[in-house]
Amino acid sequence: MASILAAHGLRLAYGDRVVVDDLSIRIPDGGFTVIVGPNACGKSTLLKALARTIKPAAGEVLLGGVSIHSSRSKAVARRLAMLPQSPITPDTVTVRDLVGRGRFPHQGMLNQWSRSDEAAVAEALIATSTDGLADRLVAELSGGQRQRAWIAMVLAQQTELLLLDEPTTFLDIAHQYDVLELCARLHEAGRTLVVVLHDLTQAARYASNLVVMHDGRIVAEGPPREVLTAELVAGVFGLPCRVIDDPETGTPLVVPLSRARLSGRAPAPRAAS
Amino acid sequence: MPAARRPPRVAASRPVLRVGRFVSLPVSSRGVAVAAIALLVLLAVSVATLTAGRLGLPLAGLLPALVSDPGSAEGFVLSRLRAPRLVVGIAAGAALGVSGALFQTVTRNPLGSPDVIGIGIGAGAGAAAFGLLWPGIVPLPVGALIGAGVAIGLVWIGTGRGFSSPSRVILTGIGVSAMGAAFVQYGIARAGREEATVLAAYLSGSLASRSWQDAAIIWSSLVLLLPLALLLGTRLRLIEMGDETADALGARSNTTRVLSIVIAVGLSAAAVSVAGPVAFVALAAPQVAKRLARAPGAAIVLSAVVGAVMLCVADLLVQQAPFGVQLPVGVITAAVGGVYLGYLLISEFKKGTM
Repeated sequence: MASILAAHGLRLAYGDRVVVDDLSIRIPDGGFTVIVGPNACGKSTLLKALARTIKPAAGEVLLGGVSIHSSRSKAVARRLAMLPQSPITPDTVTVRDLVGRGRFPHQGMLNQWSRSDEAAVAEALIATSTDGLADRLVAELSGGQRQRAWIAMVLAQQTELLLLDEPTTFLDIAHQYDVLELCARLHEAGRTLVVVLHDLTQAARYASNLVVMHDGRIVAEGPPREVLTAELVAGVFGLPCRVIDDPETGTPLVVPLSRARLSGRAPAPRAAS
Repeated sequence: MPAARRPPRVAASRPVLRVGRFVSLPVSSRGVAVAAIALLVLLAVSVATLTAGRLGLPLAGLLPALVSDPGSAEGFVLSRLRAPRLVVGIAAGAALGVSGALFQTVTRNPLGSPDVIGIGIGAGAGAAAFGLLWPGIVPLPVGALIGAGVAIGLVWIGTGRGFSSPSRVILTGIGVSAMGAAFVQYGIARAGREEATVLAAYLSGSLASRSWQDAAIIWSSLVLLLPLALLLGTRLRLIEMGDETADALGARSNTTRVLSIVIAVGLSAAAVSVAGPVAFVALAAPQVAKRLARAPGAAIVLSAVVGAVMLCVADLLVQQAPFGVQLPVGVITAAVGGVYLGYLLISEFKKGTM
């Protein structure tokens, strides 16, 4: 499968602490790749490296076959957008201003607000259903609205690749699914997504390509149905579980085993076969 | 027949200045209006500075005096006493305002301004060192620049991780400030009584008896550095959203931060070398400008105008108010600034950003 974004031999470190060593990955074009793994497994670090916001100690990230760190930063930003886990909301910024900032890579010193900037912002607002909020202050929005505004900001960048670092964190469950449905629509519209998620069931439901990381390595990758097994979850997360079909979508659903039952303190439920 | 895809209907956002296809600059109508009003206030303060008081020129005689012979009484007052002082005050205030706006934006904290983190006193210490202790090695403005450079270097090293953590920058800067103040005291102790008096006045920040040479120094620095600061404006707006977001957008936060700090240190040092480390202006002008503009991002031009107004108003006050003695302008700005700094510390502490 063709991959515009790929990395090989990556070593990622914070100072002396190596988080990821000798990792290679290919992001399938047009896919919805979800990266999961336990805390501190290096998934966010990998995403940052793919978005060139941290520099690898070894190896390289290739965007269209060219090393991302030797490319012009604005040129990269016209092809690849990334939303960090906790961006800072400026005090007095409106949704429209915030989304407009996503146009930076398309602007020059003299051409700071062209008609295509205007159109891209309008499109991003509509795609995220934030057009009704355009003149509100971002700081005054609810968590779910604010997250959609931030996603609109990276959409306005009009890139083929979209990287999102835990976009559902801090949201209640309905807003988590709002954001995931939005991701699914963007994926259907042809964008390549790479998203770091915590929830395995959500990951399995939305991903076309699931990447499981553990201790800085990729331990499994492929379609969620093939990848997400009880053995894998037990091995990687240390969580004994059953994996059943999601009654709603047919995708794998992770059901943790009852510890009380395992230790014999609780009877088996009647429904269990 | 399928309807042609209509362009999304979201109301056009902002006025834009367009020239052909290749020039399009967003214009904030509120920003322009506020800047125009601030400039009018500055003009009024300037006229008052030239006309008020015992030696003041009559309002009607102001224009003739501008072209009159410096030998005449009016010409002397204008070209030797009041005008250089005013011209230096405007540019020094503007330089401090821009310097503060740059520092506060890259540290994302109103307290990360040059007078809190030791740049002002560092420049003062540099001026003291090369003006008094080792005179004649380098000119005073260069001495101030060296002092400011050493101070920012110490802050950089002291934080252990450059400028990425605002609270570390501020706390380290307060320490560097204290070191600078100690060095200045040492300089005063070493100097003769007369020199010490001059230095003490200089170090609280004074615009008294400025020369046209001072005006040339500060205006050339401003003309050189202000456009560079403006060029960084868009990138600075992105840094507000965090380094990672800015980097992802291609705005290269580290380079932008380093360039901004170099420009801000240059502006601060130039201002200090002609007016001494005037407190408060760099801290407050960007905050006032931000509230007036009611827009996010570093309001660089407005910070410059507000800084100029603040310094000139304070200087008008020390010239004309009956304090009994000719106070250095920095005493006024420091007195007001102390109160404001306390307010800022409390409000930042409440927000949890400290």
